[in-house]
Amino acid sequence: MERISVKKVHQLAKQLMFSLSEQEAKDIVNEFDTLLSQLDLLNRIDTSDCEELVYPFETPTTFFREDVVDHVMDVKDVFLNAPKAENQYFVIPKVVKDNGE
Amino acid sequence: MSFEMVIGIEIHCELKTKTKMFSGAPVSFAKEPNTCVNEIDLAHPGTLPSLNKKAVELSLTACKLFHLEIDRLLRFDRKNYYYSDLPKGFQITQQFFPVGKNGYVDIDVDGSSKRVFINRLHMEEDTAKQFHRDDVTLIDFNRAGTPLIEIVSEADMRSGKEAAAYVEKLRTMLEYGHISDVKMEEGSMRCDVNISIRPIGVNAFGTKVEIKNLNSVNNVERAIEYEFERQKMLLLSGQSVVQETRRYDEATRTTVSMRKKEGSVDYKYFPEPNIFPVYVSDEMLAYVEANLPEMPEDRFKRYIHEYQLNETDAKLLVSNKALGDYFEQIVQLGGTVKLTSNWLISEVLAVVDQKGEQSFAQWMDPTFFVELFELLDKQVISSKQAKEVFTWMLKGQSPKVTVEKQGMSQVSDESLLLSWVEEVITANPQSVIDYKNGKDRAIGFLVGQIMKLSKGKANPALTSQMVKEALSKR
Amino acid sequence: MANNKEMWLQKAHKTIDELHKLQPKLNAVVSFVDVEKQVDEAMDKTGPLAGMPVILKDNVLYKGVRATASSYMLDNYVATYDATVVSKFKEAGAIIVAKSSLDELGMGGSNITSFTGPVHNPYDLSRIAGGSSGGSAALVASGAVDLAIGTDTGDSIRKPAAFCGIVGFKPTYGRISRYGVIPYASSLDHVGYFTREVKLAAEALMLLSGRDDKDMTSISTPLENVVEVLDESLANKRIGIFKNVLDAIDDEDTRALFFDLMDKAKEQGATLVDISMNSNLIKTVLPTYYIIANCEATANHSNLDGVRFGTHEDGDTLEEIMTNTRTKGFGPLIRKRFVIGSYGLMDENQELLLKKAQRVRRKLVEATEKMLESVDVIVAPASSHVAPKLNDPSIDQLSDKYLVAENYMVLGNFTGYPSITIPMGMKNHLPLGINLLSKAYDEKTLLQIAFQLEKLTGLKGLKAKVEL
Repeated sequence: MERISVKKVHQLAKQLMFSLSEQEAKDIVNEFDTLLSQLDLLNRIDTSDCEELVYPFETPTTFFREDVVDHVMDVKDVFLNAPKAENQYFVIPKVVKDNGE
Repeated sequence: MSFEMVIGIEIHCELKTKTKMFSGAPVSFAKEPNTCVNEIDLAHPGTLPSLNKKAVELSLTACKLFHLEIDRLLRFDRKNYYYSDLPKGFQITQQFFPVGKNGYVDIDVDGSSKRVFINRLHMEEDTAKQFHRDDVTLIDFNRAGTPLIEIVSEADMRSGKEAAAYVEKLRTMLEYGHISDVKMEEGSMRCDVNISIRPIGVNAFGTKVEIKNLNSVNNVERAIEYEFERQKMLLLSGQSVVQETRRYDEATRTTVSMRKKEGSVDYKYFPEPNIFPVYVSDEMLAYVEANLPEMPEDRFKRYIHEYQLNETDAKLLVSNKALGDYFEQIVQLGGTVKLTSNWLISEVLAVVDQKGEQSFAQWMDPTFFVELFELLDKQVISSKQAKEVFTWMLKGQSPKVTVEKQGMSQVSDESLLLSWVEEVITANPQSVIDYKNGKDRAIGFLVGQIMKLSKGKANPALTSQMVKEALSKR
Repeated sequence: MANNKEMWLQKAHKTIDELHKLQPKLNAVVSFVDVEKQVDEAMDKTGPLAGMPVILKDNVLYKGVRATASSYMLDNYVATYDATVVSKFKEAGAIIVAKSSLDELGMGGSNITSFTGPVHNPYDLSRIAGGSSGGSAALVASGAVDLAIGTDTGDSIRKPAAFCGIVGFKPTYGRISRYGVIPYASSLDHVGYFTREVKLAAEALMLLSGRDDKDMTSISTPLENVVEVLDESLANKRIGIFKNVLDAIDDEDTRALFFDLMDKAKEQGATLVDISMNSNLIKTVLPTYYIIANCEATANHSNLDGVRFGTHEDGDTLEEIMTNTRTKGFGPLIRKRFVIGSYGLMDENQELLLKKAQRVRRKLVEATEKMLESVDVIVAPASSHVAPKLNDPSIDQLSDKYLVAENYMVLGNFTGYPSITIPMGMKNHLPLGINLLSKAYDEKTLLQIAFQLEKLTGLKGLKAKVEL
């Protein structure tokens, strides 16, 4: 795995919908070096014989929620924390492209 | 140079459940925005998803209908991206282990059958709805979290007709399976087409263009036909097809570019840590198998064998499921089979626009037909009168009430009829002479006179018989 | 009973007064909670938590009260529902008096990254309380409350417990519902709590745990009454001494306190066994944790975008709003972690980063399971040293330091096994703790052994005296 560039760090931040100062970006690049040396530690472990462990326990659950209405928010609660609302809608500046995705 | 089209279709279908895929808020039918949500749908901090049993059952049903191999261990993944209609900033879907894969449906195009293979079927959740207005976008989260299944075909279709047949086949099967309302115009079924073209004989695929959100089967066909021509023209003029997403413009019947695909988006899929893998029990699978609803082909066969309908009528009733359901409802209430199918096909379908959004039963009480047919059977009214009664049924008045109010009872009283027969014969001596001279239409003329006299109430069959008898005696 | 109402109301107000007095020193409270209505509703309840003032870490949602997770992003967010653990508290008649500070979004080990400023250690105000549940730890250690909820993702209860000289407990993964708890890393997050004695920890477990259908990682495995069987002798108990950790600790005082306690345990009949795992493997605990935790956290907080709730920065486009909101809302350390997390989630990097870490997690879990085969609990000092100073530059950097001694407790998060820290002694008037880890679902043995060790240390109820 190669070193990361400041440009890449800014790119990643942009994808995450926030920005970084130049210093913050540089700090992250430095941290990456540490991360890379830690990755070496990971790579010393042979994992060719095993699968990823995603959950602490692997017994599947058999629970399914019954299809009955159990909780609807009061409209006042829906908008209690809303930064911008109008006529019972949440409001944002007009989205130019209708993403559809 | 001859080209062929290579078409694959992705369908998203809202499932017919009461609540959302991962929360117990109701699936919205209310018009009021943001009244069918809870904290899970709004992705408030601390909320966790909870899997809807019915959504799973319907997905398994769909897998069975489309002959898909079922993965009984349900595993979910996160599809990550930021957008205002995606509250969590990721969608819970099944990227790595779809509940169903490697299935097929058989379609009928111009008399020949073709098998279209289905690559996968998986469960996921819907996004919120956005409305654009001048300078703002308004977001309604009622739809957020609605259960969806996504069905992805192989790139097996080679014409707009095949594509349309595939979509229609899926649509009716999903409707018959009670899996979805499949109303393309309303968005409960959405269709995206991937089309590329290549010279005939070439194996390599051309550049794929995606056409999104087609809202009717006809538009699927039209959009593909237009797109085929468009791509052909490009290639023939030495240009290349750009990989992009287009939408179908109904007014101009063309496809229009929506956005260029800048490489592929990295959705950073990874397993959903908040949902342990869920195992579909033997009981659940058995329940699904035991409750597979009747499919169109089976209904067609049943209508032929059980009701002795002819193929044309059966086909018609099957192609409009709601009408078929209504037909059965009336028959089960006592309506005569033949009369029911005739009346529905000829009279009801002619005025079906009046129905609007209502179901058939809401629009026209099924017992009205039962009454109507009883009245006909008992010869209380003639078939001509029945048509008049029907116009009153359309206004919401029952046949029995109509007959009473309009005084429409057919006269079958022989003594009264006889008096009318005598009256018109006496008034029309020429008819007697005509009859004696072999002109049978004299009977019809005299019956007509009696109908005038009785204001249409005379029982036509009986009247005709009595006129004939009376003439013979003269 | 009207009797209770008077008494409990008084007790709650007294607690709140004390919290106010401590606030300028410890800076551990984020919000205070109204108690009148709670006392009314708790009036007829009985049991060990009835009428007891308790504290919630501010990542736990209490309806009608702000839940900030100590982040500016949620500084104005008012919860519209109760976390399941809060419902359990209400059923038990407990009175929630305050929300406590944490490292921002639970991501940290010092509690200096809170939006409301660092939390101070009640034993020495120039030192950290530890994190991320530092606020809850400091307040229990000060004696203001007897019980406070925390969360533990990478030892975030068990480390501050050591630094503050109290009991810090996290049960088996899935025992206590995570519904209504702002997440950090979902496959590692545990809800747990602090007390000053093991017995209360056992009592609280009976009342706070249980299957919750709202949480699809909630377990149904039954829990026997651990309180009834708590006092069981150490004879026939096998205690595994975690050799890798002890070998990484050179602080003489820490070692002395630890082995002294072990000798006492042996005298009581316990069998001590040295156990260890491969030394290369244990060094992977920290990087494995960082990769998995940062990847999951990055996705978990994608809902914080300024559209439906939380602080909001203006912008001309949706992208501007989201970007301005998230830049201002998240501190630099959080944004750093998200970048790293996002990097690990990239499709082209997952194989080498996230998936590799997840496979190493499996190896670590298997190794831990193996170690526990021959013993009832694995024990080691919770940290090699006392609480660091607030301005210690080594805090919260991604660094090579402390790979083993300071991070081994994350094994409890990878495995989901129950784990507890209790005080084991003092060094220069600062507490040191010992950590225990038992098998999955075996809270019983864990608490039994902890209870006996607590007797041997004589440190039950240890309290810090904060100079006001």
